[in-house]
Amino acid sequence: MKTQKLTEQLELFGCIQCGKCTGGCPVARKTTLNIRTLIYHMLVDPSMDVDAHQELWDCTACFTCVERCPKDVEPAELIISLRGELVEGGRVPETLGTALMGIFRQGNPSGMARQDRELWAAGMEESLERAKGLATRARDASSAQEECELLYFVGCIPSYDPRIQPVARALLRTFEGAGLHPGTLGTRESCCGSEVRRMGEAGLFGMLVEENGELLRSVGARQLVTTSPHCFNTFRKEYGLDGMEVLHYTQLVARLIDEGKLTFPEPSEARQEEHRTVTYHDPCFLGKQNQIYDEPRAILEAIPGLKLVEMDRRRERSLCCEGGGGRMWVEGTNLQERLAFQRVQEAAETGADTLAVACPFCLLTLEDAVKVQGLDEQLRVMDIMELVDACGAMPHVER
Amino acid sequence: MSDPACEAKPACEAKPACEAKPAYEAKPASPEPRFEPKIVAFLCNWCTYTGADLAGTSRIQYPPNVRIIRLMCSGSVDPTYVLKPLLDGADGVLIGGCHPGDCHYQSGNYKARRRTIALKEILRGAGIDETRVWLRWISASEGQRFADTVTEMTEFLREKGPNPMRTEWAV
Amino acid sequence: MEQEPRIGVYVCHCGVNIAAAVDVEHVARAAAELPGVVVARDNTYMCSDPGQALIKQDIREHGLNRVVVASCSPRMHERTFRAAAQQEGVNPYQVEMANIREQCSWVHRDKSRATEKAGLLIASAVAKAARLEPLEQREVDVTPGVVIIGGGIAGMTVALDVADTGLPAYLVEREESLGGRVAELNRTFPSLQPVSDLLQPLIARVQDHPNVTVFLTSCVSQVDGYIGNFEVEISGYGETGTPAGGDPASKSGTPRAGLSVGSIIVATGYDVFDPQRTPELGYRDYPNVITSLEMEERLIQGDLTVDGRRPERVAFVKCVGSRDARLGNPHCSRVCCMYTAKQARLVREMLPEAEVTVFYIDVRAFSKGGEEFYDETRSQGVRYRRANVSEIYRKRSAPGVDAGLAPRAGAAPVLLVAEDTLLGQPIEFEADLVVLAVGMEPRKNAGVIQKLLKLPRSADGFFLEAHPKLRPVDTAMDGIFLAGCCQGPKDIPDTVAQAKAAASSALIPLIRGSVPVESASAVVNGELCAGCAMCADVCPYDAAALDDLWGTSRINPVLCKGCGACAVTCPSSAIHLQHFTAEQVLAQVDALVE
Repeated sequence: MKTQKLTEQLELFGCIQCGKCTGGCPVARKTTLNIRTLIYHMLVDPSMDVDAHQELWDCTACFTCVERCPKDVEPAELIISLRGELVEGGRVPETLGTALMGIFRQGNPSGMARQDRELWAAGMEESLERAKGLATRARDASSAQEECELLYFVGCIPSYDPRIQPVARALLRTFEGAGLHPGTLGTRESCCGSEVRRMGEAGLFGMLVEENGELLRSVGARQLVTTSPHCFNTFRKEYGLDGMEVLHYTQLVARLIDEGKLTFPEPSEARQEEHRTVTYHDPCFLGKQNQIYDEPRAILEAIPGLKLVEMDRRRERSLCCEGGGGRMWVEGTNLQERLAFQRVQEAAETGADTLAVACPFCLLTLEDAVKVQGLDEQLRVMDIMELVDACGAMPHVER
Repeated sequence: MSDPACEAKPACEAKPACEAKPAYEAKPASPEPRFEPKIVAFLCNWCTYTGADLAGTSRIQYPPNVRIIRLMCSGSVDPTYVLKPLLDGADGVLIGGCHPGDCHYQSGNYKARRRTIALKEILRGAGIDETRVWLRWISASEGQRFADTVTEMTEFLREKGPNPMRTEWAV
Repeated sequence: MEQEPRIGVYVCHCGVNIAAAVDVEHVARAAAELPGVVVARDNTYMCSDPGQALIKQDIREHGLNRVVVASCSPRMHERTFRAAAQQEGVNPYQVEMANIREQCSWVHRDKSRATEKAGLLIASAVAKAARLEPLEQREVDVTPGVVIIGGGIAGMTVALDVADTGLPAYLVEREESLGGRVAELNRTFPSLQPVSDLLQPLIARVQDHPNVTVFLTSCVSQVDGYIGNFEVEISGYGETGTPAGGDPASKSGTPRAGLSVGSIIVATGYDVFDPQRTPELGYRDYPNVITSLEMEERLIQGDLTVDGRRPERVAFVKCVGSRDARLGNPHCSRVCCMYTAKQARLVREMLPEAEVTVFYIDVRAFSKGGEEFYDETRSQGVRYRRANVSEIYRKRSAPGVDAGLAPRAGAAPVLLVAEDTLLGQPIEFEADLVVLAVGMEPRKNAGVIQKLLKLPRSADGFFLEAHPKLRPVDTAMDGIFLAGCCQGPKDIPDTVAQAKAAASSALIPLIRGSVPVESASAVVNGELCAGCAMCADVCPYDAAALDDLWGTSRINPVLCKGCGACAVTCPSSAIHLQHFTAEQVLAQVDALVE
């Protein structure tokens, strides 16, 4: 690959080779990925053999390098572009190819049937009837094109993954409880493309932006709320949804609590959930990339009886769980040292019994790490939404 | 080679810098010569003219459509200074003065403001598009604001098209 | 008597500053065709001696009576060319400039369009020049005295230089004592002299000098007037009733003094970068991560212990808050490399057994004796590692840290996470004490001074000098000068040098005794005046009044400042503003619109 064009496009000439990017890169310490030297080669070599850099697939697109670069270079964008080079030549890890194909055919990386996309709401437990009712109402709202103030974008993982489906249900129950009546896109909802872009499949991403963008605008909602920080990030920054307020659910829930539309009952002995000691893990796409640090904490602090303790590496120094940038579908090099292992150890060291997260990917990777590390007796991984739901969030009663 | 980052970008707003880039730079040269509006600017010596100098020393780029005439004060802009260029076929007139309260001559900019409002009434009455006349407060330290104003005004006038006076007069 | 215009046009290349974007030869040839133009030339530097000689020679040989110079802004060199023309007998007010640098070549990259624009600007200047009338240069007396804003080392240096000439210096300091930032430092580099040795005698001299008046806990609250005659109001600073941390402008309290002076010097210094804005470095999270200024304090106290223990590994992190676009501080702070070397050496002296490591991006040791000092620092065993520290955190399982929920000991070491770019390897470096070499920033309330004095600031937020090379202490406002770090980061020698330069520049008009003022005033044509007195209503200076005898308006040229408000207002068009007549301006319009 000739380096010059891409070097100019990405304005890599601003780089002073200080190494702040590689220094802060969470995977650089365990694999051979070194974004600074990649930039250096782009600057000084006329061509690059991209195939020789399989470590490109190690990047989690946490964007720590982008956030910290003192010269406004965007190192992670180089990785995305170089991945694009590999994708273009069809040289993609098999599992990634499958995920991309699933998105292309069924609108989700697992390749599950599109018509099953609403199964998350057709829940399996006691909330079955109610959840179904909600979903029906939501579907009616969008198909009838009637005024829909708030649109809930569920996302692929919450729609299909049985571990995450309860998070989506908890979210919808809580919104209903606070007097909000969100609509959804039902089975017409497709992958937001956040990870597609970061895997380097720019063509497919462009297509998704066009199709999803048109659909989202046609609903005419004023607010768009997502389960995942990844969907939130791409809608907010890469879709150009003018006039639509894009929110992560933690922002909306914190706002509802602040406005008194969502309150919690006094703690009772019966409800164990309320006596937990919780530490919170900042997801990269919510924290570092969007500076949303306070809202998730505000929610946790509003739950009576719940005690929040902090890890040393928090907020801007949060450690990536390694679930982003397509890494849910490709292992990368060095399987032994997972960042998630290190992360759950850090969480356990705080003495917390619960590790709260606000991202489906973080929930999956960290829960897996808790099991592998044998910490399941000590530490439970829960989404903030699950905690809110379990602690009996209830609507504020208007007099 | 294909360029994923770039393909992805038109639809996205990840780089606000991209959006802020003046359109005259971003757009590729089209085969049709673009309409290039002529703007005559009357700038007060103390604030806006110095602000325009600052845009220069800061190397802030803006379209070359503006041609500057230095005056001591925006309050000395005679209505004929505005009318003549418009009748002669200029596409816009920019008057630049100090921010309210900052006039070197105490109140010249207030005079300019009142006079411009009245002048716009007259222009409207005479069937001349009064939106072609802009009055802006730009201080000596606002080089960027000057460049932005010229860029914005050029775009605005390009959108609007040539001053009809150009052709009418020619006939 | 009407002179037939004989105009010479001179187009300047300004090296490549103009020539790179404008086809200079082409516009000069085009200018030769303009009406009234006798000769048109281009030259590499018109402001140089040969450039000026060219003008003078043409005036003699071609009998020129008007000169048009197309070069930089008239704010830059109008005076130069007026003086040159005057030497050959051309009235200085018959020199006109076309601003084709600041307002053309520097702001447009498209050469053909920039050339077209430059041609129009020159045509406009020629059209005006042809109609220019000779005027008489006027001067006003100046009020001796200088107000100096800021009582740090720069301000005190200026005050003493002014006072030593016998003129009054008024030193305004918002804090309770003089000395500024330098008073917070321990020793200087590269001489390692205690700062108090140089600062205390300076403060004593300022306080004892009969010509220096010091205003402590004071600020400048109001400024009126222009070069030679400023009226400056001094008020109390930070008085009761004003919330701390609020708008600095609102901190000015009751007026204390009204001063009349000829010049003003701004020496307001800098702010230190607050590393809470780089949260990845853990400042305030860990007591053993401190700023370099806090390190100075510790060096003054002679105490480097962390929780009672002598640190074994000390790390310095450079470029914190400097050279960083995301923080809005793209500039190099210029002092951190040297003070870090100084601190590293002092630490080596105090803790000979400790390992001292400096993490750097580049080492810039450019001051006199700087490189030698850096060499000496390394030879004394200070290690330099090329790495920009990306993150600082603490491992709970690290030695000295209690696991679990127990409160952590302050002395527990932290980990510096970085890439050693020379090894090409990510590293984790354990340190007992970390010093963040914080940079300099413009004062947070620089906007107050900016507004008060109408001073422009450069992109980095520091006050902007009139010319980076030729007028480094002047500002866009005549009679107002800059000294010290308010103009940009500087070490002590550079600050003092600039302060002394500012003092002598500020003294020029005071010693000369008078300054030239705007000669162009408004003039009434009595034949046309109907005596409506609307001019008297709009004149802010009471310069226009009806003549008792004739009942027509007359404008007092001494009071008139040439704003032109009356000329526009006059319903009979009986008033014109000299040097900016309607005829001249409309001729410019004609030339610009074609």
